[in-house]
Amino acid sequence: MDALIIIFITGLIGLFVGMLKNSRLTLAVISVGLIAGFLSMYYMNDYQSIFQSYQGLQFSRTQHMFALLAIGLTFVSVLLGYTYFKEDEEHTSDYYGLMLFSLTGALCLIGFSNLFMFFLGLEILSIPIYVLVGIQKGNSLSSEASVKYFFTGSFATAIMLFGIALVYGSTGSFEMNEIQMALDMGMSHSPMLNIGVLMMMAAFLFKVGAVPFHFWGPDVYQGSSNAVMAYMASVVKLAALFAFVHFFNFTFHSVTPFVAGLILFAIVVSLFLGYLSALKQTSFRRMMAYSSIANTGFALFAVLNQQYGEASLWIFMIGYACSTIALVTINMIVEKETDNIANWKGIGYSNPLIGITLVISLLSLSGIPPFTGFFGKYLLLSSAFTNYLPVVILAIIASLVGAYLYLRLMVLALSKEGEGNKLKMNLTQIIVLILCLGGILGGWLVLLI
Amino acid sequence: MELIFLPLILGIIAFFVPTKWVRPFGLLASISILAVSIVHLINFNTSDYVMLFNPAEIFPLGLTFKMGYDGLALVMVLLTNAVISIILLANWNREISSNARFTGLTFLMQFALIGLFTSLDGILFYTFWELALIPIFLILYWFGKQDNNRALFKFFLYTLLGSLMMLLSFIALGYFAPNYSYFQLVQANFVGKEVAAALIMGGILFAFAVKIPLFPFHTWQAPTYTNAPMAGTMLLSALMLKMALYGMIKWMIPIGFEGLVYLKWPVITLGGIGIVYGAIIAMKQKDLKTLFAYASISHLGLIAAGIMLFTVSAIEASMIQIINHSIVAVALFLCAGIIEDRLNTRNIDDLGGIAKVAPHFGFWFAVMTFISVSVPFTAGFIGEFVLIKELFTAHWVIGITAASTLVFGAVYMLRAYQGSMFGPSKVTVFADLKWNEYLVFALLTLAAIGFGLYPQIIIDFIKPSIQFTQELMSGDLTLTK
Repeated sequence: MDALIIIFITGLIGLFVGMLKNSRLTLAVISVGLIAGFLSMYYMNDYQSIFQSYQGLQFSRTQHMFALLAIGLTFVSVLLGYTYFKEDEEHTSDYYGLMLFSLTGALCLIGFSNLFMFFLGLEILSIPIYVLVGIQKGNSLSSEASVKYFFTGSFATAIMLFGIALVYGSTGSFEMNEIQMALDMGMSHSPMLNIGVLMMMAAFLFKVGAVPFHFWGPDVYQGSSNAVMAYMASVVKLAALFAFVHFFNFTFHSVTPFVAGLILFAIVVSLFLGYLSALKQTSFRRMMAYSSIANTGFALFAVLNQQYGEASLWIFMIGYACSTIALVTINMIVEKETDNIANWKGIGYSNPLIGITLVISLLSLSGIPPFTGFFGKYLLLSSAFTNYLPVVILAIIASLVGAYLYLRLMVLALSKEGEGNKLKMNLTQIIVLILCLGGILGGWLVLLI
Repeated sequence: MELIFLPLILGIIAFFVPTKWVRPFGLLASISILAVSIVHLINFNTSDYVMLFNPAEIFPLGLTFKMGYDGLALVMVLLTNAVISIILLANWNREISSNARFTGLTFLMQFALIGLFTSLDGILFYTFWELALIPIFLILYWFGKQDNNRALFKFFLYTLLGSLMMLLSFIALGYFAPNYSYFQLVQANFVGKEVAAALIMGGILFAFAVKIPLFPFHTWQAPTYTNAPMAGTMLLSALMLKMALYGMIKWMIPIGFEGLVYLKWPVITLGGIGIVYGAIIAMKQKDLKTLFAYASISHLGLIAAGIMLFTVSAIEASMIQIINHSIVAVALFLCAGIIEDRLNTRNIDDLGGIAKVAPHFGFWFAVMTFISVSVPFTAGFIGEFVLIKELFTAHWVIGITAASTLVFGAVYMLRAYQGSMFGPSKVTVFADLKWNEYLVFALLTLAAIGFGLYPQIIIDFIKPSIQFTQELMSGDLTLTK
């Protein structure tokens, strides 16, 4: 709770500091705020909070881990955006402020204990993103993406609300514990509840960007700037997936078998459609959007895993988010006028740091050990192994297609032809690359604690 | 500890060594790694089971982080270290050896290989198995022929598919054993679930069959070998393939022993087909490197068939053949490399009469040819003889098929030798061998004849490990490790 307030206030302060038009100062203020938020979240149980009596947000051990990850990833996205944001002098602080507001939404979405807080979190998470996507006012793609995302997003929210209303109608409570209890006793199972759960599931699939509700993904990713895209692919996805998994593993766990078939369908279609469409893309951000759809497919295995679903999702997401942020950073370093993948030719051969980060992130995304991406996929697949063996085998075939996709990018970037083509990197970008590298190499060590 | 991590550390350092010093650094580093493993050899009693890491606690996922070696693993580690030194020596006067990236990647690959041979944990084994793929992929990509992406993708994706099948098997194994410790996996009880054991074994076999390569999975091999630089081909055939054969002996069969009945004859049949098929294709080849690649399929088919028998003497003979094949692979690809270096062609039709111009090379190539067709007093003779005998005991048809390798081998090797070294003098200028090439040939010959005269030295190391594994499988042994 304290972390939430610290981050929100930092966002406000950031907006005012932005008036000084000193981008370094703004970054410093935002970083300090984020680090303070991180620390207050980290030491949450060690001190007496002034909001002790507030029950709307409760952080269990896994939720705590997710919250820390969300703050950490936001910090990395903020650092990543620095070079880009400072060019847009009028709006520098808007970016930071909106990102931090969105993060407060993400934290609500991670720690919620009643449906009211959940919905609030979902909206606070989404609304700043609509703005962030459309912030490049001169760019028609950006405006298109923003409008598209806003309309479809509002629609999904409406469906979510309808679902919540139906669930409330059949269980008679907003509190997660009480809903769960009512469902466990088996009194409230009715068509109304099932339709409500189905509607919520549809809205969730939209928010995480899984097939068949994925259409906004590529357009929105292409229209937004690199930093915003990195933020969307990491934090927004993390929070939405966590809420999804949390709902279906705890509150609705007696209803989950009813929707399991649909989720399995979404997994398989997301995996194949994501990877196969990604193969055909020439724009890097569109490719990453499809790759993110496919990775969402993997992450959805967590929904069906009652026992270790959240823990597996954590490991998977740290691998996925770090790899994606690293690749987006590299794209930002390379970017010329166009967002074409062909720009990547040979960049890894002549720039060792880029080369190493690129190889390791792509290998992690392809699921090759000993990187975090492998352990994430391993945990997700091994828990689904007994119950859903055919789907696991399909997922493995899909991941082979994915490996081809990433391998092609790797081969392109490591080509010898780019020799001597040195790229300029900022200090913040180097820090981001190193942080991501650390996450990919060391993220899975959390398992050993 | 230093046995495993020394190559990793030296590999990382190698990337930062200035170009002028890379060559001596590489050779010295590889010799120092070899020296370390020799120290381990000196302190090793043949019946020991040395643990390098042995944490008592069990980590999530059933990870145990156990690492260690028995005689079998130690032989493989020594083989790896010796072959890497020899490969670096053989490349001494080539441009590739003064490239920091090549040297660094070679050591990283050595790290993965040693890790694989010493890992006693299923997940660690899988990790090192995949890790070994990355350096070799980069070596092939950066130093191979340009425009070979198609062959490379085929190689990478094929191996990755195999690995994923192995991963599925390991996930399934998690339901039969309490954790992924090697000893637990071997003792996993499949009584009454023989089909499950066979499926698990089949998944693991898929990975190995792609890498060996067994007959229907071999299509990646020839283009990859042909496009690779000489050093890359040597690394692939002398070391990478041995991972799979070692994996069969140490992991696949002991773990899924109950399912062996289902897979034994299919694999032996595939091995038998591979022996004849590889040899027949090799006879028709014009390109020396492709010829040696198909010859390799033929040799490895025999070894794989022998391993599937899983008798003590068949395993011993297979190990002798594994070592012999490493020697032969390095030697033959060096010969092909020497010819390509000096003449820019490997086509037998364009060659001829080299022995007249370069008699020393002619002599050593002849020696290597004889070693590869397994004349008596070379290691190959012992290995092939025992393997054929064991296969004959199992079934006479497969015995005769296996024995055909002796005839076919002589046909394609002598044809290659005769076509390139004698015949009409098409080649008039051919620089004779350099000092490092003499040294490599001499060392390889020494090893082949040494093991041919006294194979007991290998058997002494292998026998106790095989017996230990068999006791472990039958459950006679109380679990102390």
